[in-house]
Amino acid sequence: MQESELWITRIFNDRFSDLGNAALQLVGMHPQARPWANYILMQFLVFLVLVVVVAILRARLSAAKPGKMQQTFELLYGFVRGQAEGQMGQEGARYVAFFGTIFIFILVSNLLGLIPAFESPTMNAPVTLGCAMATFFYYNLMGVQAHGFKYILQFMGPKWWLAFLMFPIEIVSHLARPLSLTIRLYANMFAGEQVTMVFLNLTYLVVPVIFMGLHIFVGVVQAYIFMLLAMSYVGGSIAHEH
Amino acid sequence: MTKKLFFVVMLLLLGSCVLCAQTPGNAAAAATQWNPLAAGLSMAIASGLCGIGQGKAIASAVEGMGRNPGAAGAIQLAMLIGLAFIESLALYTLLIVFVFVR
Repeated sequence: MQESELWITRIFNDRFSDLGNAALQLVGMHPQARPWANYILMQFLVFLVLVVVVAILRARLSAAKPGKMQQTFELLYGFVRGQAEGQMGQEGARYVAFFGTIFIFILVSNLLGLIPAFESPTMNAPVTLGCAMATFFYYNLMGVQAHGFKYILQFMGPKWWLAFLMFPIEIVSHLARPLSLTIRLYANMFAGEQVTMVFLNLTYLVVPVIFMGLHIFVGVVQAYIFMLLAMSYVGGSIAHEH
Repeated sequence: MTKKLFFVVMLLLLGSCVLCAQTPGNAAAAATQWNPLAAGLSMAIASGLCGIGQGKAIASAVEGMGRNPGAAGAIQLAMLIGLAFIESLALYTLLIVFVFVR
């Protein structure tokens, strides 16, 4: 797995390596020669793009005469909320903020890789692990928020005498969730790019475009699936078994 | 007939340790020389089983669309989601191949 530097990363490593090393030392890691990695800068870029777009949108919000941007985002919000209410019933609307964020972040990250001088941050395991960990903590926190500390009873299974058997099984299956979320997104993005590279080596001209088209489709579908699974987990953890 | 087959298969499995013993050589090189073969075989198995699974999913989806053309939109959506899940199972194997080979 070769690690080549994008032009942005090269600029940051040449000029701002002290800043990067200071950030590394804040979390207790040793300073390195070229601290900025591709995916860190690409994530910051996605963050900046999203914040700028939403800031512009916020300035143009109007109830009487919605513009094109507002209507596009209303479509997006309606889509996410419809999915949430389909999965979790009426209470789904409370969690739309997290699902929408995850969906838009992963969607923009996946599609960023198609632009020539940029790379998908989700092509690297740490980024997808971050998204999966955020989802993991979020659904457990929402479960505790909905049930109080009786949330732990969900892991005990239906009968009290099965608890000693069900508890490890439930723990393992709950730990497998962020693992599968991470690897699913990472492998899809990474393999998509590798396949494009292989075909770029074999046929130099037009054929890789087909794989880039497939990569667009896969990127959108994987973002949607991540959001869908997050909704399913939150729905499972807040479920009231009456 | 099946008992005999079972017996032969068990004998093969138990004897495979002896049959497949290789001449002791350099430990590191002897282990990693099988990496490309293992990668190819595991990817082939993963892709084959993924193909079977996706074939069943698409077959059911298309039959459902034939029986109920009005629900074609919902069935198509569910089919695409199911295909993406099955595809990611094969991709887990591809990831292992990329991590362990070269």
